[in-house]
Amino acid sequence: MLELRPILSALWRHKISALLIALQLGLTLAIVSNASVVIQEREERIARPTGIAEADIVTAHFMPIPKDYDLLEAFRLDMDMIRQLPGVAAATISRAPLAGSGSSGGFHTKPHQEVGSTGAAFFSGDEHFIDALGMKLVAGRNFTPSEIRIMESSSSERPTITIITQQLADTLFPEGNALGKSLYFGGDDNPMEIVGIVERNLGPWPNSSVAGNTVFFPAIMETQWYDYIVRAEPGQRDAVLKLLEEKMAERDAERVIEVKTLTEQKTRYYAGDNTMIKVLTGVVSLLTFIVALGIVGLTVFWITQRQKQIGVRRALGATRTAISRYFLLENLMIAATGVALGTAAAQIFNQFLASEFGQPALPLSTTLVCAFILLAVSLTSALVPALRAANISPAMATRSV
Amino acid sequence: MLKMHNIRKSYRTDTIETHALRDFSLEVNEGEFVSVTGPSGSGKTTFLNIAGLLETPTGGQYLLDGQEVGNLSDRERSHLRNEKIGFIFQGFNLIPDLSLFDNIDVPLRYRGFNAKERRRRIEKSLEQVGLSARAKHLPAQLSGGQQQRVAIARALAGEPRFLLADEPTGNLDSLMARQVMELLEFINQWGTTIVMVTHDPDLARRAHRNIQIVDGQVSDLRQNIAADEAAIA
Ligand SMILES: Nc1ncnc2c1ncn2[C@@H]1O[C@H](COP(=O)(O)OP(=O)(O)OP(=O)(O)O)[C@@H](O)[C@H]1O
Ligand SMILES: [Mg+2]
Repeated sequence: MLELRPILSALWRHKISALLIALQLGLTLAIVSNASVVIQEREERIARPTGIAEADIVTAHFMPIPKDYDLLEAFRLDMDMIRQLPGVAAATISRAPLAGSGSSGGFHTKPHQEVGSTGAAFFSGDEHFIDALGMKLVAGRNFTPSEIRIMESSSSERPTITIITQQLADTLFPEGNALGKSLYFGGDDNPMEIVGIVERNLGPWPNSSVAGNTVFFPAIMETQWYDYIVRAEPGQRDAVLKLLEEKMAERDAERVIEVKTLTEQKTRYYAGDNTMIKVLTGVVSLLTFIVALGIVGLTVFWITQRQKQIGVRRALGATRTAISRYFLLENLMIAATGVALGTAAAQIFNQFLASEFGQPALPLSTTLVCAFILLAVSLTSALVPALRAANISPAMATRSV
Repeated sequence: MLKMHNIRKSYRTDTIETHALRDFSLEVNEGEFVSVTGPSGSGKTTFLNIAGLLETPTGGQYLLDGQEVGNLSDRERSHLRNEKIGFIFQGFNLIPDLSLFDNIDVPLRYRGFNAKERRRRIEKSLEQVGLSARAKHLPAQLSGGQQQRVAIARALAGEPRFLLADEPTGNLDSLMARQVMELLEFINQWGTTIVMVTHDPDLARRAHRNIQIVDGQVSDLRQNIAADEAAIA
């Protein structure tokens, strides 16, 4: 039979220490649940689909580019060479997505508009770009080789066709008929017909507001802001990386070549998020550990204080189980109070964080999961002292003073 | 009611072994009121603890109510204590955080009675010791004699066959001691077997029978107080 009422009235005589530990637990819950929601948000950010075969992609870049250097010729020779390499599935000249640098601008659906633009990142590339990035064309067509403009740095030619992401298509044309429609860059009047739609591409800045709005132009441009994007056959990435460095150096030994995996660049881009996750995980673990220590301490203290009482209860017929159960129930009551206070505190704390720091909203379910875990931690912490209390001899009733 | 044969109890620490009881044999009959006296450290409390199943003997045989209790599990011993034995301690041993009502409730909950039955028994036993009006009070709000009466009420509420008291009047002045003694005699008249350890010769004499423990043994089995006094006279 559960002795809830007598436990509660006995607890009432120790309300200050009980309340203190409950408050500690509640505060821990408020912090832990808010930290969890941030951790969760960051993890989701990092894990969200990028739309590209990032694990198989290697990028390359070379320096320096002396004056009079024929960059376009170098591009052509390198690409011809790279596409022949064993283990290479596809290659293009564009810029690495997910890497934190690129270009963006405002796009419109009508000419000569000054306001109400939709922000999007843009890339140029040849007809290999979909394949090189491992993207999926969901509507329309790819660029054809004849549509690729080779643009010198002085050129002011404007593209006439474009391929965009599904997300941007849905934003600009909510009725879903983007294919064949025109896109205008900035406030100009040059129409660019949308000939294809790819499923997804997060662009250069996955954490920004334009992430996922991406536009591709059919061009190879003479600029030092480029990356060779090389997709390896599955499992061949590291071999391709080595080979790429070797062969590019072989073709032109004057240049310094930098090859990187896209995974590496993505990791660098998310370094802040990863640090945040580590710090918050550390804080959560530390707080949970401290609260567990507090509970072990208080339970041990109370049991020591009540040794005589435990002996008396045993003499009056309490089984060992009844003694352990008493302390576990007592612990559960304190923890339940703490967790109830903490649930409310977590919401208030979250509203503050949301309004002051734009933190994500805390779903009640997250708080409840954290509350459940803390209840379990609390009970586990009390378990060993409670089991040891059951070993106090009934003779304590007559022996001690 | 209680039958001990060649009970031994020794306490072993790292360095020394204390023989608290040696070849201790005793029989207490149903309905008897037995007082136990003896010098300090002679083994009185040890005897009471073994009789009340608070400790297990090192050797020998103990029959409680005809049942051999030597091989019972801790759980079975707890249930036996709860059902058959009432304890009264020198220091009252009320639980300070609980009201008188809740104190008496403790053994009744372990017994598994329902709330109504527990209330009935608590009220009845509080009435028996004349403290009905104080049910909501905490032990600290009572005098020593009153606290001991509550402890007696707690021991009685389960209607035990067997009441064990270790110096129940040891912490009380003589007036209060007499009141407690009268209460015990009254309880005994209603059929409860009582074994009471005491240092007070006057109280010891009021029992049916007094046994003396010296050095862990019954020094003079079946010593009859009346016969003793007749001999002196
Ligand atoms: N837990 C223990 N560990 C070691 N020795 C013990 C223990 N309990 C009792 N003893 C020893 O056993 C002997 C008998 O003790 P017991 O408490 O039974 O005496 P007593 O007759 O009740 O004495 P008093 O009149 O002072 O209460 C004593 O020598 C005591 O020191
Ligand atoms: Mg003693």
